[in-house]
Amino acid sequence: MVFYSVFVLLWIILAALPWLGFSYGVVWIFLLAVSFTLALSYDIVGGYMGYMNLGHSTFFGLGAYTTAILLNQGFNLFTSLLAAFLLAAFFAALISYPLFRLRGAYFALATFGLISLIEVLTVNLRDLTGGSGGISTPPGNHMLPAYYMVLGVAAATMVLSHSVARSKFGLGLFSIREDEEVAQSFGVPTSLYKGLALVISSVPASLVGGIYVWNMTYVSPESVFGLEIALSPIIMAMLGGTGVMIGPLVGAVFITLVQEFLWTKVPYFHLAMYGTVLVLLGLFMPGGIVRTRWVKPFIQRLGLGEAVEYFKNVDAERMS
Amino acid sequence: MSADFIQLLVGGILLGGIYGLAAFGLSITFGVLNVLNLAHGDFLMLGSLLSYGLFVWLGINPFVAAILVIPAFMVLGVGFYLLLLKPIADKPPHQLLVASILVTLGASLFIEDITAYFWERPVTGISYTLPPMEVAGVVISSTRLLVLLFIFALACAMQLYLKKTFVGKSIRAIVQGREGAKVVGIPISRVSALAFSIGMALAASAGAFYVTLFTVTPVMGIPLTIKYLCVVVLGGLGSIVGSVFGGLILGVAETLTAYYCGAEWAPTIAFVLLILILIVRPEGLFGAKK
Amino acid sequence: MSRFLECRKISKVFGGIKALNNVSLSVAPHSIVGVIGPNGAGKTTLFNIISGSLLPSTGEVIFKGKRISGMGPARVCRLGIARTYQLVRPFNSLSAMENVMIGLAFGRAEPVARRARVAEAFKILQMVGLEGKTNHAAEGLTLVEKKHLEIARALATAPQILLLDEVVSGLNPTEITRTVDTIKQIQKRGITIIMVEHILKVVMALCERVVVLNYGVQIAEGTPEQVVLDEAVIEAYIGSFEDAEEKPHA
Repeated sequence: MVFYSVFVLLWIILAALPWLGFSYGVVWIFLLAVSFTLALSYDIVGGYMGYMNLGHSTFFGLGAYTTAILLNQGFNLFTSLLAAFLLAAFFAALISYPLFRLRGAYFALATFGLISLIEVLTVNLRDLTGGSGGISTPPGNHMLPAYYMVLGVAAATMVLSHSVARSKFGLGLFSIREDEEVAQSFGVPTSLYKGLALVISSVPASLVGGIYVWNMTYVSPESVFGLEIALSPIIMAMLGGTGVMIGPLVGAVFITLVQEFLWTKVPYFHLAMYGTVLVLLGLFMPGGIVRTRWVKPFIQRLGLGEAVEYFKNVDAERMS
Repeated sequence: MSADFIQLLVGGILLGGIYGLAAFGLSITFGVLNVLNLAHGDFLMLGSLLSYGLFVWLGINPFVAAILVIPAFMVLGVGFYLLLLKPIADKPPHQLLVASILVTLGASLFIEDITAYFWERPVTGISYTLPPMEVAGVVISSTRLLVLLFIFALACAMQLYLKKTFVGKSIRAIVQGREGAKVVGIPISRVSALAFSIGMALAASAGAFYVTLFTVTPVMGIPLTIKYLCVVVLGGLGSIVGSVFGGLILGVAETLTAYYCGAEWAPTIAFVLLILILIVRPEGLFGAKK
Repeated sequence: MSRFLECRKISKVFGGIKALNNVSLSVAPHSIVGVIGPNGAGKTTLFNIISGSLLPSTGEVIFKGKRISGMGPARVCRLGIARTYQLVRPFNSLSAMENVMIGLAFGRAEPVARRARVAEAFKILQMVGLEGKTNHAAEGLTLVEKKHLEIARALATAPQILLLDEVVSGLNPTEITRTVDTIKQIQKRGITIIMVEHILKVVMALCERVVVLNYGVQIAEGTPEQVVLDEAVIEAYIGSFEDAEEKPHA
C-alpha cells in the first residue's frame, strides 16, 4: 500500500504543476513521462521476460505515424489513438511469431533490425508518410491536455506493470527469463506468453507515440525511429534496474536530467556518450542503480522496498 | 540470360562473398565466446576506412591492404576482448547475455559516433580498376573477379586453419562444448581472445574489399551487423559453410532487388529474408533439424 | 493388471551413437524403481524420454494406458509426471516460494486457485524442509537446498510419478540421510518414484526394483539384492577379472 500511496501523491503533485506556474517544467515532465512510459513498457518484455527488445521504439513510431495520418484525414484524436494502438498491437502479434523463434542476442539484434525496416518503409512509402521529410499534423497548442493524457497513460502503465508482476502471467514471464526450457517443461505456455507480453508492451508505447505527435504536430522518420529514441528507454530501464517498477523511473529521471544539463552544453558525441554508459552498465552494473548496495537500503527505507522486491514481501506478509 | 543479368549476378555474388566472409567472422566469435558482437559491422567499416586511407595517402593497392589490415585488426581485436569481453566472460548465461549486448552495442555506438565526427563525408569507394575482361561475350570487371578470388582464397585458408592447426582445433572444440574443452586443458581465455581477433580481422579484410566497390559511411555498422544476422540465420546457426552460402543468397537478393525495385528497397531485403526463413525453416538452410 | 507406466522397446540415437538400445521398463504404482549404471549408460536420456523432453527414435512410453511419447513435456507434466534435473536448474533469481508457485500455477491439470496458492506452496516447502527459506532467491541456496527446491517444484505439480535425477549426488552423508527420509515421505503419499542414482547405498535402501543400464543396453533387472550379485552388473561396474589380471603384463 505504501507503494501506491507514494505514487498517488507524486501524481497529484505532477497534476497540480501547470497551475503553479511551472510552464517549462510541464514540457520537461511531459517528455520525462513519455520516456518513462516507454521504459516501463519495454521492461515487461525486457525485464520481466528477459528478452531484450531493442526495437521497442517501433511501436512508438507506428503509434505516432498512425495518429498523424489519421488526424490529417480529419479523424478526431481518440479515434486516431484507438487505431494507433490497435495497429501496433496487431503488428506486435504478427511479428512475434517469427521473432520469438530467435533467442538471446539473436532476438535482440533482429528486433533492432525491425526499427530500420520500418524506418525504410516510412521513407519509401512517400504517398502515405511524406517520406523522409515527415508529416505535419493540424496545428494547435495541445500542451496541457497532452500533459494530462501522458500522465494518465504513464499511471495506467504502472498499474498494468504492477498487476502483471503479481499475476500468474507475470510468474510465467519470470520463469521464461530464468530458464525457458524448464518453464516449458513445467507447463508454462511459453509461446503464447511471449507473444502476449510483446502485444501488451506495445500498447502504452504506441499510445504515447500518438499523444507525442499530436502535441508536437510533426513527425519524421528520424524523430521516431532514430537511434536515440530507440535506445534511451532501454538505457533508462537498464540503468535504473530492470524487472522492478522503480527502476525505469529512476533511470528515466536520471537520463532526462543528463540530457537536460549535458546535451545542451555538448552538441557532439551524444551517441558516443550513450555508448559509454551502455558499456559501463554492462561491465559494472547489470542490475542497475536500484540494485546497487548503496541505493537498495535507501529505497527500501523510503517505503519503496515493496517495489524492489514486492513479490517476496507480499508473500511474507500473507504468511505471518 | 541477358548480359545485364549476368553482370548483376556477378555483382551480387561478389557482395555476397563479402557478407559471407564477415559473417563467418561473426559465427566464430559467437561460437567461441557465446557473445553476439553487435559491433561486428563497425569493424568492416573501420577496415574499409583504413584500407581507403592506405590507398589515398600511401598509394597502397587495396589487395595488399586487405592483407595488411589483418594483423592490425587482430591486435585491436585482442585489445577489445581483454578490455570489454573478458571481464564479463564468466557470468551466468542470462547475465552474460544482457552484459554482452550492452557492452557490444555501446562499443558500436561509440565507434560510429566518433568515426562520424572525424569522417564527415561518406567515402565513395576506391577508384582502383584493372582492365576489364571479356568472357563469352560478357564484359566482366577483372577487379571484381580478383576480389572474388581473394575472398575464396581467404575462406579456404580459414577453413584449413580451423581444420589443421592446434589453435584451429581448439577453437572448434570450444564451439562444440565449452566445459569439455576446459576439461581437456584448452586455455579458454587465450583461444577466445584469438578467435575474437580472427573474427574481427575477417570483418576488416572484408571491409577492404567492400570499399573497392561500394560507398562506406560511418553509420553503416549496425545495419551491416543486422545483415550478418540474416546471413547467419539463413545458413543455419553455427554452420560455417552455411554462412558463406547465406552471404551469397543475400548478396544476390540485394543486388536484384536494387535493380528491379529500386535502390531504396535494397536495405529491406535482408530483414524480409530473415523473417521468411524464420517462418519457413527456422533451423536455417544448412542447419540440422532438431 | 494394466500397467501404470511402461516403456516399450525404447531406442534413442544421437548422430550415430545409440544412447538407448531397446530398453523396456515397467513400473507398478506406489513403487520406487532405481535406474543405475556407469556414466554414459543412458540413464538421463531415459528420463528425458519419459518426461517428454526427448522423442524416442523407436519405441513408446505408455502411462495409464495412454501413449505419452510425442506429447511434449508440458502435457506430460500435467498428466502427472514431474522431474528434477541432474545439474540443478531452479529459477535462479526467483524466491523458493515463486519456484514452487510456478509448479502450482502451470504444472497441474487443474491449477490451484490464486488464493490458495501461497498456503499450498508453503505446505510443500515445509515437506522438503525449506519452510525457513521461502523468500530467499534460489541462487543463494546451498546445493542440497536447491535439490530439495527442485523436488518441491516437482511436487507442486501434484505428480503421480516423480522422476529424480541423481538427487543425492554431491551431498554429504547427513544431507543424504535427510534426503532419503524426504523421499520415503513422498512415497508414503502415494507417489511413484523412479530414480537415477549413482550412490548404490541409497538405491539399496530405497528401491524395490532396480534396472541396470550399460552403454544404452538393459543388462539386468530385479531386486537390489539380486542385481548387485549379477555378474554382468559387476563386470560393467568394475570390469571383468580377466581384464584386471592381464593389465600388469600388458
